[in-house]
Amino acid sequence: MTSQASGRGERLGAAAPRWSLWNPANRSLFAYLLLLPAVVLTAAIIVYPILSAIDLSFQRIKIAKLGRSRAPWTLRNYEELFQSPEFLQAIWVTITLVAAVTLLSYIIGLGTAVLVNQRFAGRRAARVLVAVPWAVPSVMAAVIWWWLFDSSFGLINWALVRSGLSSQMIPWLSTQGAAFFVIVVVMVWKGYPFISVIMLAGLQSIPLELYDAAKVDGANGWNRFRFITLPGLRSVRGIALILIMLWVFRDFPIIYILTGGGPQNSTQTLAIMTYQEAFKFHDFGYAAAIGVITLIISVIASWFMVRRSDQPIY
Amino acid sequence: MARSRTESAMLYAVVIAVIIVLIFPLYWMFNTSLAPSTQLRRFPPVFIQPEPTVAAYQQIFAERPIGLWLRNSAAVALSSTALSMFVSVLAGYSISRIRARGSQAVGLFFLMSRMLPSTLIIIPLFVSFRQLQLIGDLKSLVLAHATFITPFAVWMLKGYFDTIPAELEDAAMIDGCNPLSALLRVVLPLSAPGLAATTLYGFVLSWNDYVFARTFLVANQKAWTVNVGVASLKGEYLTEWNEIMAGSLIAMLPIVLAYLFLERFLVSGLTAGSSK
Repeated sequence: MTSQASGRGERLGAAAPRWSLWNPANRSLFAYLLLLPAVVLTAAIIVYPILSAIDLSFQRIKIAKLGRSRAPWTLRNYEELFQSPEFLQAIWVTITLVAAVTLLSYIIGLGTAVLVNQRFAGRRAARVLVAVPWAVPSVMAAVIWWWLFDSSFGLINWALVRSGLSSQMIPWLSTQGAAFFVIVVVMVWKGYPFISVIMLAGLQSIPLELYDAAKVDGANGWNRFRFITLPGLRSVRGIALILIMLWVFRDFPIIYILTGGGPQNSTQTLAIMTYQEAFKFHDFGYAAAIGVITLIISVIASWFMVRRSDQPIY
Repeated sequence: MARSRTESAMLYAVVIAVIIVLIFPLYWMFNTSLAPSTQLRRFPPVFIQPEPTVAAYQQIFAERPIGLWLRNSAAVALSSTALSMFVSVLAGYSISRIRARGSQAVGLFFLMSRMLPSTLIIIPLFVSFRQLQLIGDLKSLVLAHATFITPFAVWMLKGYFDTIPAELEDAAMIDGCNPLSALLRVVLPLSAPGLAATTLYGFVLSWNDYVFARTFLVANQKAWTVNVGVASLKGEYLTEWNEIMAGSLIAMLPIVLAYLFLERFLVSGLTAGSSK
């Protein structure tokens, strides 16, 4: 109590207003001081690296020369890139992977969300269990499925042969197409719970009275889903889809651990290609050029996400 | 909304079937980790271990420095989260409360940074860290992980600060607090659950990293994190799947537990701004 009183007394009693950071007139300065540590840190570890990556992408430079000398600016990396069949293939792989994983994750995610939104005893436990794969780190998800798809002793090959669906063991990760399929399965398994939990939150925000009213009006289950549930999810759906697409677009560990982009680049996305050009072939300038293109795509996608949210950002 | 008995029975059947299919890979991981090595190369597979054994766990701890890997992962996760939280609390508060010129742009920058491809940022970071001789050093990871924890934490914290009425700080300031002590004494204690969730998620993000850890630390086995270690087992052992599964299970356990606490926070954080 005494400290409060004296604090107020000082403020009121000061004859000439001394300069103070706490003065409301200096509110902006206070705001900048609070932002300063974050701005300094991110300038050093995000902004400067992005700028130097852009700089690198205009140089023909291999790992040995990095940091010692700089090469003259040139557009060669980008020219080479747009003529490279490998790059075009990586774009195609990225698009098909993003489309397949997003679509399947959406279907399974929405399905499981609707399922665990039903009223039944044990619903809480069911919700947790359905979401569990979300928590599995990508590295472990890749390793678990590697074992399931193992070509000699994996459970999936055994089940396929046993049931007569396949006449022989399939070398999943060394076969084009099959390897892509494995990547899709692992990513969907890791990705659907994310859609599911977001959709569940969306479902819970739909007023139950709407369903009751629709029932009174004689709408059947499908029509209730079609005209109440789906429109009710519109606001969360956009965010969920963009986030999962960006995740697939940028993912590294699942593909890198399972296939490294092979066989014959059939699972090589732009992210994997960037990494391999840099750290396998040591062609840093070329890799940076691919990376800059992935950055531009990410920025455009996240810009859409920012614009989509109904609320202004502040 | 009453359901007939057949309807309920069908609902349960569907729920159980779906959960079994989706969770089966995790069960299989657990099941394999309890299998004796002799069983791994034999068909038909054993779905329920008649004599479960922890031999694989003993083997993996005896042969590989899993304890060291776990310690490295924890040390990096704690340091990078602490660093990120310090700058993010201040920045998140500033963006939430004060409309200063330019701070909106800074906020937008953090929002967009969440989508940064790590495969791009790793190239210039590798160049810089090599010049600073940080390659092979855990410090390189602490800085690299801050690149993705900070943008996330700023936004998550801004969201929590937004939910705390500004009147409380005004009252504290009338009582003689300056704006900084109002933040420390009034806002932070009230946002304790949000701070805890953000810290825990920062820890999870760091622990889950693979690309930075693999690239910066691959040559120095003593500095490996648990993800790099576990991913390396697969190449070396080839068929000792019970040990690989045992190692993976240990490595992911802390994260799965963290998610049980986090899910609620993450959902509200992810859908904030879209559901209203």
